[in-house]
Amino acid sequence: MLSAIWETEGLQTVGIVVLVFASIKLLHLLGLISFSEDSVEDELELSAVRHRPEGLEQLEAQTRFSRKELQILYRGFKNECPSGVVNEETFKDIYSQFFPQGDASTYAHFLFNAFDTDHNGSVSFEDFVMGLSILLRGTIQEKLNWAFNLYDINKDGYITKEEMLDIMKAIYDMMGKCTYPVLKEETPRQHVEVFFQKMDKNKDGVVTIDEFIDCCQNDENIMRSMHLFENVL
Amino acid sequence: MAAGVAAWLPFARAAAIGWMPVAGAPMPVPPPGKHRRQEGLIMLNVSGTKFQTWRDTLERYPDTLLGSTERDFFFHEETNEYFFDRDPDIFRHILNFYRTGKLHYPRQECISAYDEELAFFGIIPEIIGDCCYEEYKDRRRENQERIQDDEDMDQTNDLVAADLSFRETMWRAFENPHTSTMALVFYYVTGFFIAVSVLANVVETVPCGPGPNRVKEVSCGDRYALAFFCLDTACVMIFTVEYLLRLLAAPSRYKFVKSVMSIIDVVAIMPYYIGLVMTDNEDVSGAFVTLRVFRVFRIFKFSRHSAGLRILGYTLKSCASELGFLLFSLTMAIIIFATVMFYAEKGSSASKFTSIPAAFWYTIVTMTTLGYGDMVPKTIMGKIFGSVCSLSGVLVIALPVPVIVSNFSRIYHQSQRAEKRRAQKKTRLARIHAVKSGGANAYLQYKQSRLLIDLDEEASKEAGQALVCKANPGFEVHHHHLLHCLEKTTNHEFVDEKTYEASYRDVTLVNQVSHSSSTSSTSSPHGLSSCCSRRKRKTFNVPNSNMSVGLQGSIQELSTIQIRDRPFTNSRSSRSSLNAKFEETVPLNCDQSYITAAVISMPTPPGTTPEGDDSTSSTNYSQANIVRVSAL
Repeated sequence: MLSAIWETEGLQTVGIVVLVFASIKLLHLLGLISFSEDSVEDELELSAVRHRPEGLEQLEAQTRFSRKELQILYRGFKNECPSGVVNEETFKDIYSQFFPQGDASTYAHFLFNAFDTDHNGSVSFEDFVMGLSILLRGTIQEKLNWAFNLYDINKDGYITKEEMLDIMKAIYDMMGKCTYPVLKEETPRQHVEVFFQKMDKNKDGVVTIDEFIDCCQNDENIMRSMHLFENVL
Repeated sequence: MAAGVAAWLPFARAAAIGWMPVAGAPMPVPPPGKHRRQEGLIMLNVSGTKFQTWRDTLERYPDTLLGSTERDFFFHEETNEYFFDRDPDIFRHILNFYRTGKLHYPRQECISAYDEELAFFGIIPEIIGDCCYEEYKDRRRENQERIQDDEDMDQTNDLVAADLSFRETMWRAFENPHTSTMALVFYYVTGFFIAVSVLANVVETVPCGPGPNRVKEVSCGDRYALAFFCLDTACVMIFTVEYLLRLLAAPSRYKFVKSVMSIIDVVAIMPYYIGLVMTDNEDVSGAFVTLRVFRVFRIFKFSRHSAGLRILGYTLKSCASELGFLLFSLTMAIIIFATVMFYAEKGSSASKFTSIPAAFWYTIVTMTTLGYGDMVPKTIMGKIFGSVCSLSGVLVIALPVPVIVSNFSRIYHQSQRAEKRRAQKKTRLARIHAVKSGGANAYLQYKQSRLLIDLDEEASKEAGQALVCKANPGFEVHHHHLLHCLEKTTNHEFVDEKTYEASYRDVTLVNQVSHSSSTSSTSSPHGLSSCCSRRKRKTFNVPNSNMSVGLQGSIQELSTIQIRDRPFTNSRSSRSSLNAKFEETVPLNCDQSYITAAVISMPTPPGTTPEGDDSTSSTNYSQANIVRVSAL
């Protein structure tokens, strides 16, 4: 007898608890009450970052491009990045489109760091154009400097074997899988060895900027290839 | 590669300098720096609306019209711009595609116009961005369906009656009752008998008052058993005959037997035959009674008679998934609530909720808001859950219904549109035909007038003036000349449809009449001889022949017939075979009356004079017979 009463009592309690929870959930769903403050944060994302570059004259003075060339560059830049800055994701995206077969994201990451001279996480048009100015219109010295900067991942003035290996792997990644001859695991490593043998004069395991520039200036192939892209724009 | 990214190619190439120091081998020679194409603006003039863009923008997509050298064909030197005679509104979207790399589909544009523009500018529609692609595909599908509909309609209606075999005629009569009166009669008779049969089934069960020897009330079916049996027999006879006829006439019997309507037919008449076979057997009489239920399926035969029923059936079929979902969700909810109600009501005494399946009935009745009241919860918990149950029931049922309704509405409107189009088609075609034949007449008119002008200024002057003035200069003239050349090439001539039909009938009729062909033809050409004849021929008018002026203006008027036979010369044989048919025909006596169809008379050049006959033999096609046939 007692158990029968308890049964109904128990059921009623359970029922009431369920009902209370359900109604709270319903009210929450209907938006009448809110629990957490997450909803506020969504508003902030709407304001996008915008950046306007310096004037055309200033850029003309700072870089070695003509007015027309700057115009062309800016139009292309703004077309792809209407907000005026490139963040790393977009940068990787754009660069990857040139290398559909492989994975260009790692190399793009290093490139991004090389272009983003003020290290604020985004490449503005000024950064972009300065970098291009060096690459296309700069002296051999400047170009080699830039390349050294690219390889020196932590920007400490020395290229270590690990850094070089990273860069090499990134470059080989861009090739993708379908290559001839087939890419082997140790190919980047071997390549790094060759590079260090050539560059590291005092065999201390790192390459400094002077060793680098010296060595490159003595290498005919490299010298010739530095002039390769001069008429790009 | 996206278009805009092409602008970053210089950057990618520049960044390649980063590979140089590590490269083991010498780099390949760069491609020759092409002479820097003039970085300039291109002016595009599309039907007066000017668009401007950079040359490079257009060249992002070199396999389209604007991006390749194909655009040079549209270059307009005087204004130094590219001129396109196309729709500027749609061009806007096409140009935006070059600029942004995304092609959008504007909703307010007609799908076929848009497709045409895309095809013209060499852009494949698959490039349309995701935002607009679905809409584009939907509209395209609708358009295809409509075209398919029209084609089907054409196919069914274009069959000329004479071409079909008896079997095909019968099938057509069954499918489209409005094609012949017999079919219509059959249609209505079967409809009537279906109604009668269903009515009889219903009335059979009505209590008719006490039977002759009894006290208890019996149903009408038992009281007038014989009458109902005869009625039933008659109906089943008709249905059987109809089914067999359909089976006979069906183009594909196997497909017919499989179709839904045929199954309904069979199910409708089977019970009767089965009943005939198994009478007097007590054991199966129960089953027999069940079979009678199937007689009600006869009502489905009405779907052949009603388009609305068919649409309903089609809708239900197309909404099968929504219906399935409705059923599934209802089942889930029923089970949940029945369980809850059962356990809630378990405590109360004398509760009707004896088991969960028993609670199903309560749940269904509550969820569909029927609320019979034969089972009600008595405990408080039961009542709470019961109210939640009824509230949720309304929601669950209300959800899939709009989908079904919208489907039905769409299909219904589609069929309405098809009906309307069919109805309007006749008038539309008639009007188009009238305009076209007006054009054809213009050509013939032109023919006459050209010749007049060329060869006989004199004769044409008074009479031809009227005609000449009507001739349209420029385009029309060249067009007519072209038709003329075609006539010359094929040695055939253009005639009106009516005259062609009339002549078709003529030949068959005239061939039956024997006559001497050569006599009249070799004789000297008659002058203006009015004669009743159904010979019609359209040929060039002999320039020196002049008809009475009075005939001039009456291009379309019915007029007396004029026959002019030219002497039977060799040139005759060069005439078209169409004319050759008439060589045998002689101008028949006016005594004989012929019923001729009204024929549009050809415009004739000014009258003929006998003296023209001499010159007729000289020029090859100066010989002409002008025959104007009229309805008398």
